[in-house]
Formats: sequence, structure tokens, C-alpha cells
Amino acid sequence: MEKALAELGHMDEMAVMDSPVHHLNAGAKLLATVIYIIVVMSFDKYSLSGLVPMLLWPVFMYQMSGIHVSTCFYKLRIVLPLVMAVGLFNPIFDREIMFTIGGVGVSGGVISMITLMLKGVLCLMASFLLVATTPFDSICAALQRVHMPKMLVTLLLLTYRYVGVMTEELAVMTDAYHLRAPGQKGIQFSAWGSFLGQVLLRSMDRAQELYSSMLLRGYHQHFHYAPIKKFGSEDAIYLALSIAFFAAVKMINFGELLGSMFMR
Amino acid sequence: MIEFEHVSFEYEKGKAVIDDMSFSIDKGESVGLIGANGAGKSTIMKLLLGLATGSGRISIDGTDVNSENLSKIRKKMGFVLQNSDNQMFMPTVYEDMMFAPLNYMVSREDAEKRVDAILKSLDLEELKYKYNHKISGGEKRMAAIATILAMEPEIILMDEPTSALDPYNRRIVINTIKGLEQTKIITSHDLDMILDTCERVILISKGKVIADGPADKILSDKELLEKHRMELPLGKQ
Amino acid sequence: MHMADALLAPAVAGAMYVASGAAAGVSIKKLKEDDNTQKLPTMAVTAAVVFAGQMINYTIPGTGSSGHMCGGMLLTALLGPFAGFLSMIVVLAIQCLFFADGGLMALGANIWNMAFYGCFVGYYLIWKPIIHSKWFGEGKSALRSRIIVASILGCVITLQLGAFSVVLETSLSGITELPFGAFLALMQPIHLAIGLVEGLITAAVLCFVFESRPEMLMDVDEVGVPLEAKRSLNSTVAILAIVALVVGGGLSLFASGNPDGLEWALFGNADGGYSTNMGLDEENFGVESSVAEKAESVQEKTSFLPDYAFPDSESAVGTSVSGIVGAAMVAALAVLISIAGKFFRKKNNA
Repeated sequence: MEKALAELGHMDEMAVMDSPVHHLNAGAKLLATVIYIIVVMSFDKYSLSGLVPMLLWPVFMYQMSGIHVSTCFYKLRIVLPLVMAVGLFNPIFDREIMFTIGGVGVSGGVISMITLMLKGVLCLMASFLLVATTPFDSICAALQRVHMPKMLVTLLLLTYRYVGVMTEELAVMTDAYHLRAPGQKGIQFSAWGSFLGQVLLRSMDRAQELYSSMLLRGYHQHFHYAPIKKFGSEDAIYLALSIAFFAAVKMINFGELLGSMFMR
Repeated sequence: MIEFEHVSFEYEKGKAVIDDMSFSIDKGESVGLIGANGAGKSTIMKLLLGLATGSGRISIDGTDVNSENLSKIRKKMGFVLQNSDNQMFMPTVYEDMMFAPLNYMVSREDAEKRVDAILKSLDLEELKYKYNHKISGGEKRMAAIATILAMEPEIILMDEPTSALDPYNRRIVINTIKGLEQTKIITSHDLDMILDTCERVILISKGKVIADGPADKILSDKELLEKHRMELPLGKQ
Repeated sequence: MHMADALLAPAVAGAMYVASGAAAGVSIKKLKEDDNTQKLPTMAVTAAVVFAGQMINYTIPGTGSSGHMCGGMLLTALLGPFAGFLSMIVVLAIQCLFFADGGLMALGANIWNMAFYGCFVGYYLIWKPIIHSKWFGEGKSALRSRIIVASILGCVITLQLGAFSVVLETSLSGITELPFGAFLALMQPIHLAIGLVEGLITAAVLCFVFESRPEMLMDVDEVGVPLEAKRSLNSTVAILAIVALVVGGGLSLFASGNPDGLEWALFGNADGGYSTNMGLDEENFGVESSVAEKAESVQEKTSFLPDYAFPDSESAVGTSVSGIVGAAMVAALAVLISIAGKFFRKKNNA
């Protein structure tokens, strides 16, 4: 729980750092990231050589943002296992030799496995960069701009506000539990219900008070959030360059091209 | 300005939380509402704000507190909750302060001017774009007060404004309260703070008004205070 | 069961977005119709509780390993299907848009797999009918038993549906060479175990809420909380046993797929990494665990249903035997729940 709290704080801190990437319009970043991920996803399962150049965009953006690439890798432990588990079967079922390197045959399965894993890493790098350089409320504002229903945006922001509060409350309770239950790794069976149940009951009172606080300040079904930074020329340039790069990588297999220049 | 006439309230039948209570508060007064846990302090606040409805008559500036007049009444009153986290539900201090003015149809420019002026007067300018979940307890309390001031209320209600604050932040809050010209009703167990900020005290117990008078007088009545589970404030010992 | 972007083809991801978006649209419309905007703070705070609650480690009795909760069924029981679904979306969206857990393009699929089934199937096909049913007879304890059964059945079934969808989406995306049936056979049993644990946690939490504030639970307020009637223990145990048998036996048949020896041998090794990450020991937000602990719990997880299907037997009978064994364990757990229920009651009476 403490680690989760630390991560919460860490994400917030990264998001308000100062860099050219941080200053970009949230909507532009969201769009570029989504397009990037779609392009990565759309690569054929054997087109490893075509996919590799896609790595350049996130690497470059990480450099620009001042966030170290390695910060996103601890996230891999959540994303990668399922990808790995699925990918690992490919070499077994797909044994057709595609080419040989130094006498060792490389099967299609191995290529598709590596491609899949690379895709996983690339998508994660891009998503992480987005969330690490954009405060959550700006992302929500951008979502509202693309006509995500207001109710959902409000709910997102309200929940985001209380995620920290509730995590802290549960962290304190976890500490209190472990102080009286030395040696236990988790919450024991007899307390399964009451542990979270207590928090739920209390949170209902909290929600009631919250609602009162909204009503007392004239709430009538509308939340007004601060307008986001206008879409400027630097955002247009950023978007145009990014998309041009994605298109180029998608259409021209740079890996193949480069390789064939040396392998002749 | 505020009239309580024979007000009663019960959550469960036969268990009156507020029992035939009457008092009135004039414009510009600052009143400390004191009493033991469960005496009915919070309920009085709720009744006043129309969050609960009892019997009898409550009026503010001659307007009855009832479901028809709610928005009119609530616009005049600002309530500073004890738990600032529940008070401040918007992402940033700025957006939280803008919440009420925007709801009351103040234009964004005017509301922003108002917010800036209040932050400046409370010396909180650096908090403006901070996230509500990233500021300290003391800052949170001050920001919650600023949020309420942004409503430009005529009456300010405060529930335990100094709870869980360190002496330094407590002093800041006390000085801020002293600087407010609005009518104030403050509930607290921090009797020193009440002594410091209020000229009048209403002592309640079991839903009844036990004593009502100058703060100086009631808060130096050792016997009365101890009978109702309180102690003399340090300033009077 | 957070899916990554890499596992999906753009078309599949898009289709899942459309499906989830449609369900979200209907939910929003429904909430607005019922003028439930005052529910917004409750939804937000409950979603925040579920978000934080996912990080709690629950010790699974007798195994030493720990389980987690995902929360779809819990939210639907507390808030109803529409509000519950939106809250669950918010939980997943915050994980995705703030923590980068779960892919940006996979969010639509993740919402479908984890929120849609848990909230809509969980509510309309499981929670509501069971709470309104006459199972276990009259009285408060009967109602409590219905809550327990609905929680467990709900979590197990909705997780099975979720796991099925993960397999379907991945296979449709043409990402894996793994045959559909084999992939299914890999996923379903793991999620049976995960669903059971989640079901037990959900049941425990809901029972606690039921004891303290029954009006907070959906449909329970409609049914009304009856006074304690004479409890027919036998019928309770009998129905629990039948439910367990049906779940265990039926699902293992369903999950059997077409396993051959090679594949099963492989699963034994390869699914470890996966199962650790799929909820039973999800180190979701950096909950600490040393490598040794992890290895140990992997072993426990994979042996939770040891030799779930006999490697050399491809018959449905073979699978069902282990299914029945699993069911017996469910029954044992059910007994544990009723003990826990007794514990709660005692506490309440005290």
C-alpha cells in the first residue's frame, strides 16, 4: 500500500514537470499516442524489421520530456506476463523456418513472439509517456473535448480526487492491522468482510457529506472545469511530424532497407 | 438575522436531538456553539443549512428555511466542513474555489478575479494551481476556508475549524477567522479558539440551550463547563 | 486480467470500444432518466474504495498465498448495474490513464471483459434473480445465504465469461498461434480459482454490509430484511453443495477444450508467470513480494487444482473428475463461509 501511495505521488509529480513535451496540448498528445499505438498494433506478426524503427519515437519523446525511459519499465511486470504467456507458444506451434543465421534456423514463431513482445513494450512506453507528461485533469479535459459524456468526465475527476484519500485510509488500516497481527502477510479470513466493509460504510457517509458540500455551493448537475490550454502551432507541428513519422515507418520497411544495404 | 423558534428534531421517534430550541443571532455577530459530543451542534448546522428538516421555524433574514427557499438561503451561507477532503472535491484549489461562483452564474473572468483577490488576502497565492490531494493539512484547511469565501456568503458556518492543526496553522486559521466580517457560527471543542474568535457563546446540552451570553462570561464559569463535560480554556485558568 | 494493446488487432480493439461505449451510453442515459445525479459522489467514492481495495492482500486460508478483488460484482451489488458499470469503467480508466496499467487501445476490451460481465450479467442473471428467489427459505439467514451464493456464483461466472472474452479477442486478433481450444483450456481453470477467491471476498464484504446497513444493497431493500426465522441448516448446506457441484463440474467440462499431453505439460510451466499476474497474486501496484515468495505462490497456485485434467485422458469424464474434486473444495469453502457467517452473527449479537 505504501508503494502504491508513493507511485500515486510519483505520477503526479512527473505530470507537472516542466519540459517541451509537458507543455504540449493534452488532446494533441492523446491523439498522437492513440495513433502511435494503432500503428504499432497494425504491424503484421512477422514484420519485426518494420516495427523496430517505431521505437525511435518514444525514445526521442522520453529524451525531450526529461523522463528517464527506465521509469516505465517497472510497469512491464503488469503488462508483459500475459503477452509473454501468449507469445511463448508461438515458437512451439509455428516451426516453419523463415531464415537461418549462422546455420541456426529461425522459425516464424520466434519472429512473431519477439514482434509481439516488442509491440507490448512499445505500446506501454507510449501510454506511459502520455500519462507521465500530462496531468490527469488535462487528459479528462481533452476527453471532454472529444465529446466523452460529461457525466463520465465528472465521475473520473471525482474518483481521481478520492483515490488518494481512500488509498491512504486503507494504507493506515493495513498498518494498524499488521501492527496487531505480526507475521501475517495479508488479511486473514475472519476479517475479509469487515476490513473493506468498514471502509465502504464510512465511505457512504463521506459521499453524503460530499454531496452536501456540493449542494451547499449551488450544485445543479454541472461541473465547471478549467479550460485546457489552447491548441497552438507547436501542437500542430508536433502532431504533423509524429504522424508523418508513423506513416513513413508503416509504409517503408526501414529495417529491411538498412539491412539490405549492408548485407549485399 | 438568524432565528430559531421552538425548533425540534429527532432522527428516531422519541429521541429528540434538538428539543424545543430557540435563539436568535444578529448580523455581524460571531457565535461559538459549544457542547459535549452528541449535544446537537452538528444537527443545528444541518437544520440551518436545510440539510435536515425538523419542526418549528428557522428563518434567515425573514426567509424561512424550507425546501422552496433552499437555493436562496444557501447562497447566503458558507459552510466550512470539518473534513476538508470532503469539502474540496475538485482537482485543484483554483477549480474548487471557482465551483460555487460558476454555479451562481458569475462569469469566469469575474470569478477568477474574486478567487485571486481572496487568495491574495489570505496569503495563499502559491496554492492556486496546486492539487487538492497534494497539499498539507494546514493548507487544506485554509484552502477550504478560501473556497467558502469565494461564495461571498453573508453567514459563515464552521465545524471544528482548528481540529488536527499544528499550533502554527491553528494560529493562522484563528487570525483568518478574526479578520472575517461576516456573521459567524463556529462549533468547536477548542474553547481557547472560541474565546479568541467569538464574542458570544451558546452552550448546548442534550438538544437544549443551557447558557447563552458573552463568551468571556460563559467560558470562565468553571462549574457550568465541567457539568457539561468541558474544561476552562487555558486562557482562563 | 488486464489486456495489453499488443494482444489486440486495431479492428478488434475498436469493436470492443464500440461495444463498451454503447453499454456506457445506455448506462448514462439510464442514470439521467432516473435523475440519479445525486448518486455521483457515492459512485465516485465507492469506485475509489474499490480502486484502493484491489491492492489489499487477502490471505487464502490453508494455502499461505493471497488473493485479490477486482470489484465488478461488488459494485453492482452496491450501486446497481448502471451506476456500477460506470464506476467500474472509472476504476479501469484511472488505472489506464493515470497509471498506464492496461493498454490505452485495450481499454474498451478491458471494460467489456471486467466491467460489463461483472455488472450486467452479474446483476440481471445472478444477483437480482437469486436475491428475489425463495432459496434457503424465509428469514434473515436465508437472505444472507442468498447473498453469499449470488456473490460466489456471480464472480465465478462473470470471470469465466471475462476469461473467455480475453481468449476470443486475442484469437480474433491473430496474435497467437495457440489453438483456440487450448488457449481456452489454459485460461478458464485459472480464472475458476481466481473467481472463487474473488467470490468469497465479495461475499464476506457484502455480508458485513448486510449486517450493518442492509439498505445499501441492491434488491435487498426491495425484498426487505425479514426477522430471523428458524434456519433450516440442511437445506442451506444442500443447496450450497448443489451450486458448488454444478459450478465445478459444469465449468470444467466447458473448460476442457482439447488438451493433449504436450500442451498440458507446457501449461504446467508456462502459465505460472501468467497466473501470478492474473489476480491470485497480482502484484498490481507494487505490493512487495520477494522472488522466493513468488515462486512459492506460483507453485501453490498451479497446484490449487493439481492435474486439473489428467494429461493423457481426453475424455470429458477425466475432466469432470477433477471438476468434482474442485467442486468438493467449493463445498468445503462454502462450509467455511457459513462458519464466517456465524462469526458475523455472533459479533452482531454481542
